[in-house]
Amino acid sequence: MNDDHHIELLKKGDKNALYALYDKYSGALYGVVIRMCRDKELSEDLLQEIFLTIWKKIDQYDASKGKFYTWAYRIARNKTLNALRKTDTLIQNEDMSVYKNIKEEELPQEYDELNGVLKNLEDHHQKVIELVYFKGYTHREAHKMMGVPLGTFKSYVRQALVQLRTNYQLPLGFILICFEVIGYG
Amino acid sequence: MDRKDILEKGLLTQYLLGELTQEEGLLLESEIQKDSVLQEKLHQLESDLEKMAMENAISPPESIRASLVRAIDSEAKDTTIPLHRDSPKNAFNPMRLLVAASLAALFALTSFFFYTRWQSAQENFILAQQEQQQLQEEVQTLSNEVKVTQAMVSVLNSKDAIPFLLKGNQLSPKARAVAYVNHKNRSVWVNPQALPKLKEEETYQMWADVDGEMISMGLLPTDKELIALTYIDKAASLNITIEPKGGNDHPTVERLISNVYL
Repeated sequence: MNDDHHIELLKKGDKNALYALYDKYSGALYGVVIRMCRDKELSEDLLQEIFLTIWKKIDQYDASKGKFYTWAYRIARNKTLNALRKTDTLIQNEDMSVYKNIKEEELPQEYDELNGVLKNLEDHHQKVIELVYFKGYTHREAHKMMGVPLGTFKSYVRQALVQLRTNYQLPLGFILICFEVIGYG
Repeated sequence: MDRKDILEKGLLTQYLLGELTQEEGLLLESEIQKDSVLQEKLHQLESDLEKMAMENAISPPESIRASLVRAIDSEAKDTTIPLHRDSPKNAFNPMRLLVAASLAALFALTSFFFYTRWQSAQENFILAQQEQQQLQEEVQTLSNEVKVTQAMVSVLNSKDAIPFLLKGNQLSPKARAVAYVNHKNRSVWVNPQALPKLKEEETYQMWADVDGEMISMGLLPTDKELIALTYIDKAASLNITIEPKGGNDHPTVERLISNVYL
């Protein structure tokens, strides 16, 4: 069953539709939140809060502007960054941007590792995705952490996304090639 | 803001990540709505990031789902339906309705007027900001270039700098390099631009001859305009050899292409 059906039901106040979306996306969102705040207890509270927000604000979700997961990811990112702002000391940089002084907790190694096709990417491409997607840094913060100019950083992000695209397209291309090989004997 | 601009600045990514301000987001959304190529790109990007997030999912503890169910159930119980009471104050009054409607219309018109004014001011502001940033970057680049050029000119114009022309021998007859030796401030600068290009795995290296012993002064990459080398005391001559990439501890004298006596 696709998301549209669940979202339609959720907009009508169907709790089971929320639980179905939770079952599908909670892992992906928890993966982002725990990597961002590195605090198990806080991550658990935040995950529940994120789905309560989805429950209350589903009327604001507009499918014509993007996928449900993207909307949920933004809620997760904002909630986590706000929570970190409340609990951590902020360090203001000379360009007025704000760095988070994240309290780093000892977490199992699997939480630090990136999986899937990201592993096929070069180290610096993995790093930019980790910083902007899984750690929640803005481009302006992240390029300083990596010690490269903003323009270079943006190029890395673009290259990394192209690599992701190529990797995700690969299985389909591979299947097509297999069919052709079988077809021509 | 056009398609090329949006793609080159990576605005779609920043939009998906939620990095843009509300105004920037609205501006971008209106561009996306008009452009099917941008819509397709956005959709692809969303799908890729979603797949990536799914591959990096971490299962949350079961207790969170149970606690979410409890929270939603208790919220439903707490919600009370407000009682509707028809007081005389709320009774229908056409005159009141007319006044309210006129006020609402007036308010809507002024709001719309200010909204359009605000929108255009906002767009101008964003454009001006972008232009200012570009100008700043250009000024920075130019000022860096001026600093480098000034440093070069001061080296070359110094009255204490003695120029030496190094001509290539039969191994490399076309090779030319100019060394500026300044004994007063103990510096050596070399312009290697007229040395022929070498293979990828080779480099030029300069040596000072001190009492018959060759001491390395440094490498001479030919893509630089002016290179600062190590000043060596009591050097009798300057020598250029071709060495393996990264340089050598001892000169390969059979590949000495030029030398000059000081």
